[in-house]
Amino acid sequence: MIRTIVRNEWRRLFVQPLAWALLAAVLAVLAYFFLLTLQGFLGLMPKLAGMPSAPGVTDLVALPLLRAVASVLLIVVPLLGMRTIAGERQSGTLPLLQTSGAGATRIVFGKFVALCGFFAVLIVFALAMPASLAIGTHPDWGRLGAGLLGLMLFAATLTAIAIAASSFCHQPAVAAGLALMLNLVLWMLDAGARYEGVSSDFINYAALPTHLEPFLHGIVATVDIVYFVLIAAAALTLAVRRLNAERERG
Amino acid sequence: MPAAPLLQLQDVGRRLAGRTIVAGLDFALDRGCVLGLLGVNGAGKSTTLRMIAGVLAPSAGKILFEGRDLHEEPGLARRLGYLPETPPLYAELRVDEYLAFCARLRGMRGADAHTAVGRVLERCGLGEVRRRLCGNLSKGYAQRAGIAQAIIHDPDLIVLDEPASGLDPVQAASIRELVRELGRERAVILSTHLLHDVTACCTRVTILHGGRLRYDGTLADLAGAHEGNLESVFLRIASADETQAAA
Repeated sequence: MIRTIVRNEWRRLFVQPLAWALLAAVLAVLAYFFLLTLQGFLGLMPKLAGMPSAPGVTDLVALPLLRAVASVLLIVVPLLGMRTIAGERQSGTLPLLQTSGAGATRIVFGKFVALCGFFAVLIVFALAMPASLAIGTHPDWGRLGAGLLGLMLFAATLTAIAIAASSFCHQPAVAAGLALMLNLVLWMLDAGARYEGVSSDFINYAALPTHLEPFLHGIVATVDIVYFVLIAAAALTLAVRRLNAERERG
Repeated sequence: MPAAPLLQLQDVGRRLAGRTIVAGLDFALDRGCVLGLLGVNGAGKSTTLRMIAGVLAPSAGKILFEGRDLHEEPGLARRLGYLPETPPLYAELRVDEYLAFCARLRGMRGADAHTAVGRVLERCGLGEVRRRLCGNLSKGYAQRAGIAQAIIHDPDLIVLDEPASGLDPVQAASIRELVRELGRERAVILSTHLLHDVTACCTRVTILHGGRLRYDGTLADLAGAHEGNLESVFLRIASADETQAAA
């Protein structure tokens, strides 16, 4: 059942231009960014050679690229996730899913898995760029692997947020706006607080970068994994509850 | 104890945004019956059908499917097919892809789903548009694709919300023929505000007005017992409130 929903989501995603256009545009921008940082690194190389423990290519090229991927995801995920439920509501196809006996949990989870699959493709393509440096040098595979895992978890969390936003809206554009706003709040929460001189463990814990940065530096910690899983689970639960309430609210 | 009827509504009512849309609906339906739910616009037809289909929960009363509560066992929804007011089509999918998805969504697999798609394509006269995108279908074909989706899993109860609305006379006639055929072994409920739909394909008629059931009987009863015909009964019920309101 979930497989059917996942396949349908993929099919619908790829017969429309939006997903292809976003994938192409995002990869083009990231490639441009990658080449710029690589150029910068090559310019720095003579200086770095003289330093005792100089930062390597992973620090100077891969890390900025991974951060760029994260920033791009903040915007791209709401754009692709906005239609998941609001779009069905708008086009009148929601009753089809509701009367299929699939249940809200399977509908929401199916859509979540499908979108995560799409973003996984995007992230793998983006990471292929720093990985390609293996031709001429030795990238830190452990760090790239941790970065990959971190970005996947990050994308999954943003996807869950976008689906939750979509479940509360009747228009996909509104859902995209709502999801983007939530993403930005979670992204900048701690920066604002720090600027004001407030240092709260809770605010630091709640912010997305606190948990993404360690992955990008090659540190895989349970506390960060739990954070992403918690936020995603909470958002998906909200979406399921909202979809279940559809029958009561009318 | 006699077997429970296929569908039974017990004192069903629904409020939306503080307004009573329908109240006190009581009727039962069995296989082999085509029930026409007749009413003017805003009489509560769509709300009633949405509740029967399980898309909307009743705020009062119970809807029983073979004696089991549809609201408590949402899995029962698989045994009914529902065509909402706007056919639930994915504009970006081809007709055959869309129907294959509907079949799999209702739990059919592989060869079964494939045969089911072929069967409904033929039955609903969609063969020549099977490779067209749902979004490019004419109104008549879109409506038929909507019906195809509702019957693909061979449900016991078929709920059709204004299946012939907006169709030309030829298309409307073919849909009526299809409904008559479906009603032979299954139960069908269709809503309409066209009297002709009811006389052409229904075996039983209920008239809904102002959210309440004002008439329930077979077409044969109507012809025998009531003075005049369906039209006069319907017009009398529909205009009664207006006269009251004017007075």
